[in-house]
Amino acid sequence: MYEPRIIAFLCSWCSYTGADTAGIARMKSPANIRAVRVPCSGRVSPELIMRAFDQGADGVLVLGCHIGECHYDTGNHRAAKRIPILRSLLTFVGLEPERLRLDWVSASEGERFSKIANEFTATVRTLGPVHWRISPDKQQAVSHMLAVTREAIPYPDTDCGAKTDAIRQKARELLASNQVSCVIGYELNRRGRTRPVFVYTPEETSRLVWNPDCTNNLTNYLPAKLRLVKGKEPAKQIAVVVKPCDSKAINVMVAENQYRRDQVYALGVACEGIRDLDGNLQIRCITCQEAVPIVCDTLISGTTSSFIPRLSSYAREEIAELQNAAPTERLEFWLSQFDRCIRCYACRQACPMCNCPACLYERDDSTFIGLGIGLNEKRTFHLGRAYHLAGRCVGCNECERACPMNIPIGLLNQKLAEEIEAAFDHRAGLTIAPSPIVTILSGEYKEG
Amino acid sequence: MSKSNPDKKRWLISQAELEAWLDGIANARTLIAPRKVSGLLLYRPVAKSNEIAWQGHTPESPQAVRPVLSVKEIFFPPTERLFTIHKSGQEIRLEETYPDWETVVFGVRPCDARGVKLLDALFLDTNPIDSFYARRRGNTTLIGLACTEMGPTCFCTSVGGSLDDAHDMDIMLYEKDGNYLAEAVTEKGRFLIPGGEWKETNASPQQSPESGQFPVPKKEKWVERFNDEYWMQISERCLSCRVCAFVCPTCRCFAVRDEMVKPGEFERIRCWDACAGENYRRVAGGHQPRAEKGERLRNRFFCKFYYYPEQYGLGAASACTGCGRCIEFCPVGVDITEVLMDLEKPA
Repeated sequence: MYEPRIIAFLCSWCSYTGADTAGIARMKSPANIRAVRVPCSGRVSPELIMRAFDQGADGVLVLGCHIGECHYDTGNHRAAKRIPILRSLLTFVGLEPERLRLDWVSASEGERFSKIANEFTATVRTLGPVHWRISPDKQQAVSHMLAVTREAIPYPDTDCGAKTDAIRQKARELLASNQVSCVIGYELNRRGRTRPVFVYTPEETSRLVWNPDCTNNLTNYLPAKLRLVKGKEPAKQIAVVVKPCDSKAINVMVAENQYRRDQVYALGVACEGIRDLDGNLQIRCITCQEAVPIVCDTLISGTTSSFIPRLSSYAREEIAELQNAAPTERLEFWLSQFDRCIRCYACRQACPMCNCPACLYERDDSTFIGLGIGLNEKRTFHLGRAYHLAGRCVGCNECERACPMNIPIGLLNQKLAEEIEAAFDHRAGLTIAPSPIVTILSGEYKEG
Repeated sequence: MSKSNPDKKRWLISQAELEAWLDGIANARTLIAPRKVSGLLLYRPVAKSNEIAWQGHTPESPQAVRPVLSVKEIFFPPTERLFTIHKSGQEIRLEETYPDWETVVFGVRPCDARGVKLLDALFLDTNPIDSFYARRRGNTTLIGLACTEMGPTCFCTSVGGSLDDAHDMDIMLYEKDGNYLAEAVTEKGRFLIPGGEWKETNASPQQSPESGQFPVPKKEKWVERFNDEYWMQISERCLSCRVCAFVCPTCRCFAVRDEMVKPGEFERIRCWDACAGENYRRVAGGHQPRAEKGERLRNRFFCKFYYYPEQYGLGAASACTGCGRCIEFCPVGVDITEVLMDLEKPA
């Protein structure tokens, strides 16, 4: 029979003592369990769990104090929110959900510890070893997946000219009156490609344009430009051209204290969608529900509103397709996708939410992920990034667009956004509110 | 101006003959060729010639294009284990594993082959020789395929290349009225060609079209503009991602680190690095001499057009082969041709 290796993260105050109690009472616990004593279940970051699976664990058990009894007040609240979200992410990429379990054991509950440990070991034993790697021949077999044939939606005729004029006029006003120091918008380069531009004088505003290729999320540039430096005057207001999806990022960043709302002047454009390289609507636009920016100081609406509501739900069909596949197939699919990654970090750099001064996965002292461009590192990077965006991703899907290797990263973010909405009734960026993952419990997590 | 040699021995072969030949190669050696992987064109091992994505021959892709990553990744892979370190008690043992399989790469475009030549200058022709690169290079035969037209972002003709440059290949193929004209460029290439089976010809390849050339700034020009405000302006939109360097056929920076495999076993790995990345130039103690995006992006252009020619000469005007990948894949539209044209203009 297969003997699984199980890592148990035990809270020092309750569960570790609970395990001791079980030992003192001479209750049998399986030898498969390797206990790691942690100060609090809230300390068990998703990286630690993924690292355990990386290094050959077949199951991970996280035990903490009962809710309401945390020795740090709210540490287990965080675990109670994080771990189910991480579990749904790992399940989505093909790990059996039974391999990760969160439970509560108090210092006196030796019997409960023994019962949970035995149950969990038995469950993992029947599942067998984890398959976290992929062979090249399997990669061929799974490459047919995700061939969702969606009818291409041609980009609608729009009045880009009117919007361009309105943007230029407003930008000129703002710069001439010295209200803003800079306008971040779009321009055409000599090749005719649309790209971000930074305009500092009223004369330069003629460079600004609006067209169906304005894909970049310009709020990405705001944190660096507006960063509050101790002992220095806050930077002057900056105007930014935003689409409805981009505008939500401002709400999230303000909630996370990246800058103050009054430092940003949002030139919101009523959006008919953005097209991809083939001239069809981008995937994010097919599932988009908003025609008008949520955060907006001036609305650039053009002459007509030709927004066509598209899908009734904002879910991407690929998510359902993947969920219907067997776990092993899902795992192979995702590993074959991650395998193409070259760790160029375009996804991370294009993301307005990825604004940590030093990325956890690029720090020299990071033990969670190596420097190599191997499958293990790439998988941890993408899953970790998706987890860090849970409840924060506004769905602008710039990460997927920027990826030179066509990895459907957006699916991970979308999946977690759905998960967060089902559990906490929260959609990122609709209001100035932080991700529910970083707040304490208000009611238990509803597992979907 | 065609750079093919008029006195070279040539053969005229049909598509079927070419495929049969490639099948034969794939049986005996590792054949790497452009293949579609999830809608992307990449150089990947192929078992049979029918797995090859024949660009320019199918209704879906009538245009000849180049794979997303250049052949660089075959000689200088994204991550490579240099050696393994075994430690038990006080004893330390090092173990190297060299790549030693024979590889044939088919469908190499002239810009990529020139990229390999430019990499040779520092990995092969400058001491110390990189033994990993040298092994791969020695065991690999390049079968080139001339381009018939320039892609939307290509500019090889402006930086000294051409659509049918055979110089850096082992065998060169030219498309000719639905057939192929094969030419053995090196001895290594000649060895692969089945002598008796192919029909010799004295036909010569069509002249490649020349279009859209623009002047590239001379070395002196670069020095003058080093401290220019220009770099800060164009880099404002830069995201500091590393796409441009990773898709580039000649970007060759790498980082080295020892990592633990399991207790008592460590590996020294080398992986791609890029000057646009935020951590690239950071030194011990945390100081970052190139803290500004502009300084980092400037380095990329200077490296191609000033540092490389200065250091390796080669008579090459630049370390840029004009493949246009960085233009195509930059998420924010930084355009190297625009920089070159701007520098030509008076400041």
